[in-house]
Amino acid sequence: MSILRAALWATLATLAVAMVGCQGGSESSGTSGTGGRTVAKDGKRFKVGVSIPAADHGWTAGVKWWADQATKLHPDIDWIIEDAKEPGEQISDLENLQSQRVDALVILATESEPITPIAEKLKEAGILIISVDRGFTKPVADVFIEGDNKAFGRKSAQYIVEKLGGQGKIVVLEGIPSTVNTDRVNAAMEVFKANPGIQIVAKDTGMWNREKAEKVMQNILVSHPQIDAIWASDDDMALGVENALRAAGRDKNIWILGGAGMKDIVKRVMDGDPLYPADITYPPSMIAVGVQMAASILESGREKALQFMPRHLMIDVELITPENAKDYYFPDSVY
Amino acid sequence: MLVAFVLLFLMAAIRFPDSFLHADNLRNLLSQNAYVGIIAIGMTFVIISGGIDLSVGSLVALCGAVTVLTVNKAAESGMVLMVALAAALAAGAVAGFANGAVIAFGRVAPFVVTLAGLAGFRSIALVLGQGGEIRSTVRSFGDFGYDGLPIPGLTNIGGKPVILYWSTLAFLLVALLGGFLLNKTRYGRYVIAVGANEKAARYSGIDTRWVKVWTYTLLGGLVGLAAFFNSARMNSVGTGSVGLYYELDAIAAVVIGGTSLAGGKGRIWGTVVGVLLLTLIGMLLNLWRVDPNWQGAVRGAVILIAVLLQRTTKPEN
Repeated sequence: MSILRAALWATLATLAVAMVGCQGGSESSGTSGTGGRTVAKDGKRFKVGVSIPAADHGWTAGVKWWADQATKLHPDIDWIIEDAKEPGEQISDLENLQSQRVDALVILATESEPITPIAEKLKEAGILIISVDRGFTKPVADVFIEGDNKAFGRKSAQYIVEKLGGQGKIVVLEGIPSTVNTDRVNAAMEVFKANPGIQIVAKDTGMWNREKAEKVMQNILVSHPQIDAIWASDDDMALGVENALRAAGRDKNIWILGGAGMKDIVKRVMDGDPLYPADITYPPSMIAVGVQMAASILESGREKALQFMPRHLMIDVELITPENAKDYYFPDSVY
Repeated sequence: MLVAFVLLFLMAAIRFPDSFLHADNLRNLLSQNAYVGIIAIGMTFVIISGGIDLSVGSLVALCGAVTVLTVNKAAESGMVLMVALAAALAAGAVAGFANGAVIAFGRVAPFVVTLAGLAGFRSIALVLGQGGEIRSTVRSFGDFGYDGLPIPGLTNIGGKPVILYWSTLAFLLVALLGGFLLNKTRYGRYVIAVGANEKAARYSGIDTRWVKVWTYTLLGGLVGLAAFFNSARMNSVGTGSVGLYYELDAIAAVVIGGTSLAGGKGRIWGTVVGVLLLTLIGMLLNLWRVDPNWQGAVRGAVILIAVLLQRTTKPEN
């Protein structure tokens, strides 16, 4: 036992020395200053926190990747990226970031309501708040950037109606219960209701998750011999649906409309795969827009920049077809 | 484990004197895991008695839903907070009692019963919340979540007094009362006896079934208390996401604190330090800029090292 004990203590001691000694993220390095325009008035480097949900599905993994990409463009700013599994953890993350005296925060809320009070407090403490995708329930953010989820639902549903010529049997798969999902589904359902030739044979939730969508689709396939198209509303779910179709030998004369613009699906659209005639964007890169705006506002002087910065930016969603797919294909992205 | 905590604390203090040692941050260290902490105290009793409860995370969601719905119903009355607190405690205690009753009288393994609870309680919460979040319509309920005792003489970066939240005070109070209950009362001795050797306890005249039922009921009530504070803090309850993995955090805190998963021995103060250690690790990962994708690995390693250290620094018995 004593050997193990000695080994453990040695490991701990090494770790301690390594952690205390290492250079990255040291507080003193912040005061060294780089002399450029990215340095705040008191000579310290700007410090910005990025708080995002944990990568529990492909899209959020894309958010992390794009946050990494965008922050790398601004090496003079001290970036801190934190992810959270649930709102409680995100509140803690935000408090910790405040303790580290960040100048700005780019927040993609795990959920809107719980993060609103803490965001209010951070704003009161003088921190610049950029909110992305899931907004707050009060106008707290200095800048709010979101995708147009109603357009996502409307445009995707219209595509299905047109491609089916107004007649057909479809399956609707929903995502994780949230305002994002509700907006999409409601807008899509409005379009479907206006076209009585479109018959929704099944509606269930795949939680924006490949495995879950596959299981749900398997069950649906058993009881519905005739299905023309699937409104999968997310590319992870689309891939799960595809697995179910192939396993059941039902992958002919049927097609899937996913969503968000995962690179694998965009590639399939580009290559003219009959299963994927189209896709619809909802770019996780919108976090990069937030990062870019935070950097730009701090670098150009907050007061002046905020005079003309829009308070609310709505990013349109676009239909990806074989013709334009190459514009939406990012082979290096994780998503 | 106390050594590990002190070591990590000193490391943080030396490395980040400016932000880590700030009054605001030290308050955060106490308060951030107060909900898990309150639950972990109850979990200590259950584990000492030889049981386990995997349903607490889902029960947080269920009790939270009950709390916020009650708040919205009782919005007009002057006693919103008291009524909601009573509802949360009652919901938690009833669920805990049900767990305990099936375990003790139905003779089903606690792992299985509470695994069913993990699935079931979350599901009922989702039904109550129609799959999404339930928002409170009472502003004062949300304010209560950020309210507490101002600590005299300490101010934060913005120059305002540092507040010790009510939830943190509740955690410390629950820990004190839990320590008293475990070490100074007959019930506490029974819990230890049942966990150490159930047969011997039964032969010496203890009704072991009821001892078990009450540990789960106590834990359930504490889950209700945690859910009450948690939903006040968020002024809402996200029925799909709140309390996720709380059971793992609570069990981890108890085990780091030196309570044996086999039952029969354990300590409340150890659990408190375990909770603080988990929070400290979270803060350090943040301060050290560990990539979020790596944080789980580091956290797991620190937990293992903490437990191994404490195992090896004590003589074998």
